[in-house]
Amino acid sequence: MEPNRKKRHSMTAGIGVLAVLCVIGLMDARGLADDPSGEPTLISLRFLPEGAALWGSGAAQRFMVLGAYSDGLERDVTDQTWFILSDLEKASIDAAGRLTARADGELELTAEVGKVTAKARVTIEGSDEQPPFSFARVIGGILTKRGCNAADCHGGVKGKNGFKLSLNAVHPREDHKWIVEGGEFQVLSDEASGPKTPRIDPEQAEQSLILLKATGEAAHGGGRRFETGSSDYQTILEWVASGAPYGAESGEEPVVIDGIEILPRESVLGPDGRQQLLVTARLSNGRREDMTDQVTYKSNNKEVARVNADGVVEPVKPGETAIMVRAAGHAASARIGVIAQTLANYPEVEGYNVIDEHVFGKLRKFNIVPSQLCTDAEFVRRVCLDVTGTLPPGHRVREFLDDPDPDKRNKLIGVLLASPEYVDYWTYRFADLFRVSNYGQSGSKYAAMYWQWIRNSVAENKPYDQIAMERIAAQGFDGPSRHYYHIGGELPKPPNEMAEQVRVFLGRRLDCAQCHNHPYEAWSQDQFWGLSAFYGDLTRLGHLGIDMVIIDDPAGHGEVGAGQQVIHPRTKQVVLPTFPNGRALSAAERVDLRGHFARWVTEHPYFAEALVNRIWSIFFGRGLVEPVDDFRSTNPPSHPELMALLAEEFKTSGYDLKHLMRLIVQSKTYQLSGLPNDTNREDEMNYSWHRPRPLDAEVLFDAICQVTDVYGEFGGAHNQRRAVNLVAPDLHPLRFLEVYGQSDRMVVPERKNEANLDQALHMLAGSTYNEKLGRDGGRLDRLLEGETSDREIINAFYMVAYARLPGPDETGVLEAMIAERADRKEALEDMVWAMMTSREFAHNN
Amino acid sequence: MTRRGFLRVGSLSLLGMSIQQYLHLADAWAANGLESPQKKAEACILIWLEGGPSHMDTFDPKPNSRFKPIATNVDGIQVSELLPGVARHMDKLAIIRSMKSEENNHPQGGYYALTGHRPTIGELFPSFGSVICKERGPRNAVPPYLLAPMPWETYFPDYKDGFSAGFLGPDYDPMVLPDPSGEDFEVPDLKLPKGLTSDLIDHRRSFLKVVDRHCRDLEQRGELGVMNALSERALTMVTSPEVKKAFDLSRESEQTRDAYGRDRVGQSVLLARRLVESGARFVTASGYGYAEWDTHADNDELLREKLGPTLDRTLSTLIEDLEQRGLLETTLVVVMGEFGRTPKINPNGGRDHWPDCWSLALAGGGIRGGQVIGASDEEGAYSVDGHVAMGDVFATIYKAFGIDFTKTYETPFGRPVYIANGLNNLPGRPLTELL
Repeated sequence: MEPNRKKRHSMTAGIGVLAVLCVIGLMDARGLADDPSGEPTLISLRFLPEGAALWGSGAAQRFMVLGAYSDGLERDVTDQTWFILSDLEKASIDAAGRLTARADGELELTAEVGKVTAKARVTIEGSDEQPPFSFARVIGGILTKRGCNAADCHGGVKGKNGFKLSLNAVHPREDHKWIVEGGEFQVLSDEASGPKTPRIDPEQAEQSLILLKATGEAAHGGGRRFETGSSDYQTILEWVASGAPYGAESGEEPVVIDGIEILPRESVLGPDGRQQLLVTARLSNGRREDMTDQVTYKSNNKEVARVNADGVVEPVKPGETAIMVRAAGHAASARIGVIAQTLANYPEVEGYNVIDEHVFGKLRKFNIVPSQLCTDAEFVRRVCLDVTGTLPPGHRVREFLDDPDPDKRNKLIGVLLASPEYVDYWTYRFADLFRVSNYGQSGSKYAAMYWQWIRNSVAENKPYDQIAMERIAAQGFDGPSRHYYHIGGELPKPPNEMAEQVRVFLGRRLDCAQCHNHPYEAWSQDQFWGLSAFYGDLTRLGHLGIDMVIIDDPAGHGEVGAGQQVIHPRTKQVVLPTFPNGRALSAAERVDLRGHFARWVTEHPYFAEALVNRIWSIFFGRGLVEPVDDFRSTNPPSHPELMALLAEEFKTSGYDLKHLMRLIVQSKTYQLSGLPNDTNREDEMNYSWHRPRPLDAEVLFDAICQVTDVYGEFGGAHNQRRAVNLVAPDLHPLRFLEVYGQSDRMVVPERKNEANLDQALHMLAGSTYNEKLGRDGGRLDRLLEGETSDREIINAFYMVAYARLPGPDETGVLEAMIAERADRKEALEDMVWAMMTSREFAHNN
Repeated sequence: MTRRGFLRVGSLSLLGMSIQQYLHLADAWAANGLESPQKKAEACILIWLEGGPSHMDTFDPKPNSRFKPIATNVDGIQVSELLPGVARHMDKLAIIRSMKSEENNHPQGGYYALTGHRPTIGELFPSFGSVICKERGPRNAVPPYLLAPMPWETYFPDYKDGFSAGFLGPDYDPMVLPDPSGEDFEVPDLKLPKGLTSDLIDHRRSFLKVVDRHCRDLEQRGELGVMNALSERALTMVTSPEVKKAFDLSRESEQTRDAYGRDRVGQSVLLARRLVESGARFVTASGYGYAEWDTHADNDELLREKLGPTLDRTLSTLIEDLEQRGLLETTLVVVMGEFGRTPKINPNGGRDHWPDCWSLALAGGGIRGGQVIGASDEEGAYSVDGHVAMGDVFATIYKAFGIDFTKTYETPFGRPVYIANGLNNLPGRPLTELL
């Protein structure tokens, strides 16, 4: 039997190819057919998906063929492919690669481009069975595909023009009710308001509002979504006519979509590339189903790449973006890179550890060459600031630079991770994140207890899940319990506290779901309040002003009265502590509610990745997900596999913070130079060179004190020399810290570190930059006493401020500038001022 | 305005709006006409009555107040006998007597009154001063948004939040000034330290050029460029005689300083007028200290001895002064605290917090004076004719500034919020009578 061959070349495409050939022919007729010079050649082919198991009558699967080329790019060659089926009785395939099942059995699918081939196996079962109807999949699918339930249409928080749908059909039960019964959504009540207008008419199905509106026969703000008589129209019409079932009426739960997957997950396009995306659903019955034609596609950045309704991606300009795919109840994304050109001689880049494998691997695909490794001088300053928040002392810099040991970087990392400054610095980091303040803990004594707990945890490198457990479930009168004790003895409100813990430990912002289902994510308001209820027993015992104990007390004997019952704002019902999967705690389980919540948090897969991302962002100035605590399906990580791998590594290590940091700072990715090259200059998210990061207020302040060797700003009873060691910063307001963006710790901190006018004023006229310069006993004063030469003074300040010696282009000029001034001290003060206000100093480079 | 007109405008911002919100806005548009935005106000002075003033003892006199109502220069409008000076200027003042707040405690109430939003843990909303400064921008080298002084000597971050720019970022935060009535009043970082001449600054900057040499490549690209521009602006500010003059209270005559009052209240309002005259956009005069109007005990004594007289003296002086200088037409004055106080006197002779019905006063900047909006019941407990929300007041003020009061900002969560946010998050509506 002759194999079934189909080749897709539409007329226009064919003419296009011919036209190109003609032009080239006119310009240069020599050896077009066999001259591959400049043109990459096809090396191998592969199928996506690699195989398929189809089930059900009329089941279909779309196949895509990717070709690996000699220039390192993989291109979508589906439209140049001959598809060959081993058995035409069992299935058919069209030119676009869409295979439709005909009869049960197994068959082989071959792709051919020129002489290169690839094969895929296909099995077909149940080809005469009808899958049971599911409202969620069928009707929800159409509403999603047609954009009816998008966030700016009926999927908005309050719906649109009196008709509400859940975003992406995430809540199909509610959608069914809004369609079949009608009524207007209310934020503060679960009673529908307004007249109840059903969107269907089972007696006269074609008169159903849902059809009249969608086809534009009745006035519709959203315009025409599909044509009368189209297949979507028919599907809805038949559904209405058959009584608008939900699909579970028979008592059997319908098959639902558990998740969707996109192929390929990541692809790189040249200027003329195109890429078809394939979307497959994982179903609750264990099967998989092609959804490519039943989803919506959206480019996160249309200036980088466009996508059409069929899932074909085309490049616009070099850059990187995600293509969002929404199916009924689910969303996923594929990463698309657009490059200007491929590099003929991409250098061999060797990594040090698993981080480099992923980061460099992606750079290779994107044709971005990473910068060189940084110099020892760059490294020592960078790693000291990142691990200890401290500039390396001048003599330690010299020691390090002079050390011939090839493993000296790793040795230094070991020393820093074991240093007391590490404890200072990471105590400050977590005191910021966990919000230690005089105001927040109702006084300096309690703030100090809370802070000391953090400090002890950092000092003993306590497993991070234990830290989280202790903070969330704190009871009694220990350090972490002070988190719950605000000024005036006020206790935090359950929804606020729950949302904060989820944001801090799971990297998700649930706040929107307090008042309504989350507008972009699958978080429902019920889930939000179910989780909040884990804070329902939080209370305190004792007397104001005297040591107050934090407890979970179901009877609510605390000063705040009979517990804090958590009331759902829409149903006005008391909410039981309920996990997001719908499981409520049984009566017997309802003791130590926050203990349950803490276990749920620390056992959640989000827990490890949220911390990994937070730590990563401190070392790179940008999270794999950015903003750092805003993980969303619409905000995917830049390196998903790396994220998963580091999260797993962190978990396996026993949530060992130092282990994770060591892995990061040992990587070559971390140790890249701050000088970009021609291929990576524009790169902002792939870590191909070390982008300078502004120092945080406290670290910068301490650095200025260190360079001038003038401390004492926080003097008096509170004898702390360093800003990072302030227990309760609100007790020591300092203009410098304020203008450089110190967190007031009233909310989960989000430092922006953007330059502002107050900083500029403070640099010019402020005390920090003026009063320390030549102060008696300070560094400059001592050097001047010691009859040190200008050059030695310049060198000394360069070593401590920049961890390097001045270049030849600096020394001479500076010496001359000092020499020509009448007042030498004044001149040197001016130089020190300049160094402290310089960009190199104020950044980690 | 034609129906088509407002439909066209409506469709632009209809996204994400419920039909209820839409109708609400449509009403507002129909009543006011968006097409000819009125723009008289150029600057605003907010006199902040920290602690929450007793409305029935000030702007909304009632039988349950110890103080008698007195006639004003507008027929039919009375104020408390504590405000005789204000009574002489009633023709320039508008009083709203049916304000309603959604918060009943100080930090939250202050935050609500200044932003129109109840506090949430995740989002910090901008104060209306920040909104005005963002929408209208600076007028010259004088900082556009100032707060003089911080009402609390102790560090109370969540009290302070209401004055801040919230998610708009530090560019729109107020510059916070020390107590202008102090002997040694001086603005931090606005005066060069002793001995630092502009010659020296030039020297320092030439050194900076040398030591920043290695980063010159990066300098071309953003970050440093921004800092350079800011440095220039900072230098202009510290060396500009106009800016210096704006903060220099010693240039006011003794007579004027005395008329405003030589205390925090008087001098902060006087400084506000100076700043506005020199080019500031929005100044909060917060001379009343922590909880000063929070009269939980000895309400009547406190009002008689200090609160009433200082407010009367300073507010009436400000209005006269602005008028004499020809600034009243362009300077909008707002007088308010975070809520009102209970109609009943408590056992300590005090009045407690009352957010359900209270008063505030507006003048200048195109506000039509000589009127009272809204009315409260016999005791000043509840309004008898509907409420006015902060969002409505903001919408009125924005309109006076020629700012599109229907505008929304996106919060960091991507949530659109009205810059004039009314009760239940409905868009605020300008009070047409006032404009």
